[in-house]
Amino acid sequence: MSMLNEWQDYLPDFLDGLVVTLQLTGVSLLLGLPLGLALALAMTARRRAVRWPAILLVEVGRGAPALVVLYFVYYGLPQLSLTWSSFACAAIALAFTTSAYTADIFRAGINSIPVGHREACQALGLSHGKELRLVVLPQAIRVVVPPLVGFCILLYQGTSLAFAVSVPELLSRAYSQASITYQFTATLTLAGLVYGAISLAAVALMRARWPRRAPTVAGAALPPERPDRTNPSWETTSERRER
Amino acid sequence: MTAESRPLLALDGVCVAYRHHEVVHDVSLEVASGEVVALIGPSGAGKSSLLRAINFLEPPSKGRVLLEGAEVGGSRRSLDALRRDVGMVFQSFNLFPHLTALQNVMLAPVHTLGVPPAQARERAMQQLTHVGLADHAHVKPGKCSGGQQQRIAIARALAMEPKVMLFDEPTSALDPELGAEVLATMRSLAAEGMTMVVVTHEMHFAEDVADRVVFMADGRIVEQNAAGKLMRDPQHPRTQRFLNAVRNR
Repeated sequence: MSMLNEWQDYLPDFLDGLVVTLQLTGVSLLLGLPLGLALALAMTARRRAVRWPAILLVEVGRGAPALVVLYFVYYGLPQLSLTWSSFACAAIALAFTTSAYTADIFRAGINSIPVGHREACQALGLSHGKELRLVVLPQAIRVVVPPLVGFCILLYQGTSLAFAVSVPELLSRAYSQASITYQFTATLTLAGLVYGAISLAAVALMRARWPRRAPTVAGAALPPERPDRTNPSWETTSERRER
Repeated sequence: MTAESRPLLALDGVCVAYRHHEVVHDVSLEVASGEVVALIGPSGAGKSSLLRAINFLEPPSKGRVLLEGAEVGGSRRSLDALRRDVGMVFQSFNLFPHLTALQNVMLAPVHTLGVPPAQARERAMQQLTHVGLADHAHVKPGKCSGGQQQRIAIARALAMEPKVMLFDEPTSALDPELGAEVLATMRSLAAEGMTMVVVTHEMHFAEDVADRVVFMADGRIVEQNAAGKLMRDPQHPRTQRFLNAVRNR
């Protein structure tokens, strides 16, 4: 019973922290997702000069731990006389990590579109831009929504790293309460429950809107078997690139 | 040379190579306006590659493609013009699954030709009626049979009002019954005077509908002749071997 009573005291402060956590998640996604899509398009571009810098950026973003990126932005950039608030630093760092991870998700979505659809666009005289906008992306988006939601949940939990640069988000609140009362078990359990409740709600929401189905949404118009494996139109974009 | 005798489509010494592996060697072919040419031959003969070279889905590694006497390629603009005038139907249909049949057919006229949507919609309905699928206008391709999908794909290509239609084994992914409805659509198209180049394994179609049959093997044209002649009286031993094998199946 005593833990519940303590929780009652903590909860208002924690909910303020949750608001900051959600803001940080939102801003990171708002900046990171468009950048991720742009990187994915650059990574699948025909020109090497476009492709390689994007691949480099993505590999750095996925290779470096988010905390390292965060420290780099928070402590490193002021040495180049760039100083932002801790919230801005956390948002920039997490947006960069988001863009790197989601770029790969978007790229997988784009590559899952059968190359035949793109050939059909070319044969119809559609420009490269229209091919992407009208045919490739609308199909790719459907493929990438579930993994993107998964990433968003990871990011939401990952915002707890901002604790390290003293953004007053959920984990910071839990920690500062605990440092006063020494009730680490109670505070961290409550913080965990708040993180978990939002995460599970997001998953449930996605499941309701996006019931599990055959993974080939993009290939729905294809007949089930591939009668002639040598025919180039049957390849997916990634298979084609390997050739 | 008069306009009458000038071929609508001409290939001049076309080669197609994947990396350094050449699969079509120095093929020249002329197609007159209104003519139906069937390309037959064993798998790997380069028929599909040659067909794809005509609209630069596989740009020829050597040689020229001429449409109405004008050389194609080089500039983006001439390529766009070529693709407006050359319709293509694929073995795997390649319909856009997120769009309805009608939207599939409208897409290119609206976005490449700049036809106003209302007008494009009307024309798309006409094309769907033409292939007997007006009642499927608002259905997505995934809900249609393979034969219906291929007929939608034909309507989509026709909506650009092309001068030539290319067919890349249009019935190979279909069972014989569904293939028959696609062939019937193609027959009526041929009867209306459409210029067609058809890669096919349907020997009856080649014999009955095509004006001329071209037999390819190992990346070259081995023999070509009026359809009836080539099918009944092949001259080259390789053609004889192929036709015997097909007939005795």
